[in-house]
Amino acid sequence: MKNQSYKQVKRMTPAMRIIHWVNALCMIGAVATGLYIGHPYYATFIADGAVDKYVMAWNRYGHFIIAIIFDVTSILIAYLYFFSRFEKPYKKLIPNAQNLREFGAVVVNLITLNRVKKFDSAHVDSFNSVYFTLFHLLLVWMLFTGLQLYVHSFTAGTSSIGGWWPAFLHIATDWTIWASGGTIMDVRLSHHASMWWILAWILFHVYYQVWRTIFWKEGDIGIVISGTKFVKEDALS
Amino acid sequence: MTPTTDEATKRFTWKSASVDTNRGDAYYEALYASCEARLQAVRTQKAVNRLDLMEVLDDHGIDRRDFMKWASATTAALMLPSMFTPLVAEAAMLMNRAPVIWLELQDCAGNSEALLRSDGPKIDELVLDLISLEFHETLQAASGHQAEKQLEEAIEHFKGRYLLFVEGSIPMGMGGQYGTIGASGETFHDHLVRVAKDAAAIVAVGSCATFGGVAAASPNPTGAVGVMEVVKGKPIINIPACPANPANMVGVVLHYLMTGQVPELDNLLRPKFAFGYRIHDNCERRAHFDAGEFVEEWGDTGAQNNFCLYKMGCKGPMTYNNCSIVRYNEAVNWPIGVGRGCIGCSEPDFWDKYAFERPVADANIKAPGGGVEKSVDEFGLGMLTAAGIGIAVHAAASALAGKKEEAGANV
Repeated sequence: MKNQSYKQVKRMTPAMRIIHWVNALCMIGAVATGLYIGHPYYATFIADGAVDKYVMAWNRYGHFIIAIIFDVTSILIAYLYFFSRFEKPYKKLIPNAQNLREFGAVVVNLITLNRVKKFDSAHVDSFNSVYFTLFHLLLVWMLFTGLQLYVHSFTAGTSSIGGWWPAFLHIATDWTIWASGGTIMDVRLSHHASMWWILAWILFHVYYQVWRTIFWKEGDIGIVISGTKFVKEDALS
Repeated sequence: MTPTTDEATKRFTWKSASVDTNRGDAYYEALYASCEARLQAVRTQKAVNRLDLMEVLDDHGIDRRDFMKWASATTAALMLPSMFTPLVAEAAMLMNRAPVIWLELQDCAGNSEALLRSDGPKIDELVLDLISLEFHETLQAASGHQAEKQLEEAIEHFKGRYLLFVEGSIPMGMGGQYGTIGASGETFHDHLVRVAKDAAAIVAVGSCATFGGVAAASPNPTGAVGVMEVVKGKPIINIPACPANPANMVGVVLHYLMTGQVPELDNLLRPKFAFGYRIHDNCERRAHFDAGEFVEEWGDTGAQNNFCLYKMGCKGPMTYNNCSIVRYNEAVNWPIGVGRGCIGCSEPDFWDKYAFERPVADANIKAPGGGVEKSVDEFGLGMLTAAGIGIAVHAAASALAGKKEEAGANV
C-alpha cells in the first residue's frame, strides 16, 4: 500500500454554509409550526382564559417569521446562482454534453455502489447541482403558495405597512390558485403536500452526503461545516 | 360595466381583497344625488303589483321603527354611509317596480325556500315579497303551454328591464338532456340562454347557479356548470352560499334599484359588500382560534364553551361570506353560532374541497388523476416510507458490495 497524500479543496464559502444551516433550522421550525397550523396537534390548557394563551397565533407568527427568513435566503441563493464569485451553480445546470455526461457518471457511481467512478469529485458535480436546484424550486413554490395563503388574512386589502403590500402579494402569487387547481383550498393542499416532497428530499440529501463520505473517503460531510473536503493528489493531477 | 368571466379574472383574487369602505365625502355626495334622481324616476314608473310594503309589514306586526332599524342595518351591509338610510328605505318601498323573472334549473329549490321563508318571514323576506315576480317556475300555478306563454309575455313586456334570477346549475352533459323544461322539452341551457338575452342583469343565486354547487361535485355526472360559464356578455352577479342569504339578495336588488348599476364585484363576480371578508375575519369564536382552543369532538368541554371549530373542519378561514355578520333569518343564528363548522358553501368546488368535517389536512382527497383517496399526510408518509425503503436497500447493498476507496497509509 503506497502512501497517499491528500489535498484540501474549498467547496463552500462561509456565506453558503450560513445559508445552509439557516435553511436547515428554518425547515425544522416551518414543519413544526406548519403542521400545527394545518392540524393543531397539541391542546392548550382549558383552565386559562383565551387572552392568556395565543398558541395558534404564536405558531402562525413563528411560521411567518421563518417564511420571511426563507424568502430572504432564497433571494440570496438566486443571486449567488448567477453572480457568485466562488462557483456559479447555473453553469452546471445547462444541459450541454459535458454536464449530461457528468450527471450520468454520478448516477452510475451511485447505482454501482461506487464500483465505477468516472468523474472529478473535487468540484460540485452536475447531479448535485440539479438536485439542489430541485430543492430551491420546491422552496420557491412554498414561498409563493404560502404568501398566497397569507395574503387573504389582510382584510380590506390593507396591512400595517400599507395597501401596497397585499396588492403586491396578490400580483405576485395569485397565479398559484390557477396552477394548483382553481381554488384557495387547492393552494393549501399543495402547500401541505409540498412539505412532504421537501422532507423526502432532505432524507435522500442527508443519506447521500453520508454515503459519499463513507465510500469516497474524501470527507464530504465536513464541507458544510469547514467548507472544505479532501481529494487525492493523484486524482487532481 | 360588464364584468367579464374569462379565466384570468376568475383566477386572480387581487380585486377581491380591496374593499374600499371610505371613498370620501365628494364621492358619496355625488352618489347620493344620482341615487335620489334615479329613485325619483323609478317612483314615476308604474308599479307592477299593488302591494304596499308598509301594509305588508303591518300585517306581520312589524312597525316602522323596526323597518327603519332594518334600513340602517342594510345600509351598513351595503357599505354605504348612514346618510343613505332614507334612500334604502325608499328603495325597499319601491321594490314593486323591479320586474324579476326567476328560473329554476338543476337544484333543490333551497334558494326559493330561503326567499320565501314562509314559516316566519322577516323584513328581508317581506321586502323580497314585494318584488314583481313575473315568472317563477316553482311557485306559479301555471304549467305547460300556459306557463310558456306567461314567460314569453313577461320577456316581451319587460324587455331589457327585468332582472333574471337563476337558481340551479346547468347540466351540459349529453347535449344538455339531463334537464329539460316545458312542453317543448327545451334544455335548461337553451332555456337560460333564451331568457338571459333580454335581461338587464342576471343574478345567480345559490352555489349551484354560481359555481355548479353540489350538482357539479365529483364526478359531476351531468356536467353541471354555473351561469357564468354559459351566459356571456351580460352583467352577472353571483350570490353563492347554500342557500344564498336573502339579505344579500335584497342588497343586490336594492343596490340595482337605487343606483341602476350592479354592485362592485370580486373576481368570482360576488358583490363585495357581502363577500369582501372571510367568515373567519369577523367570527365570534376567532379569539379561541388564536388561543389554540379547539373543539376536539362533538359535545366536549370545548364545545360547551363555544371553542373554535377549526379541528371539526370549519372552513371559515378560507370562505368569503358575510354570515358571521348578518347571520341568517334576521340575525337569529348561523352555522358556527349553533356549534358546527363552516363548510365553505360560498366557494367554488365547495362540496369536493371544503365540506369535510375535519381540517383539510386530514381530509381524504383524490390523488392527481383520480383513484385512491388519501389525506395529504397519508400520501406524504407513504412517499417518505418509499424513499426510506429505497435508501435502506441502497445502504444495505453498499455495505455488502460497495467499494470503499483506499484511504492509504499516512507516512
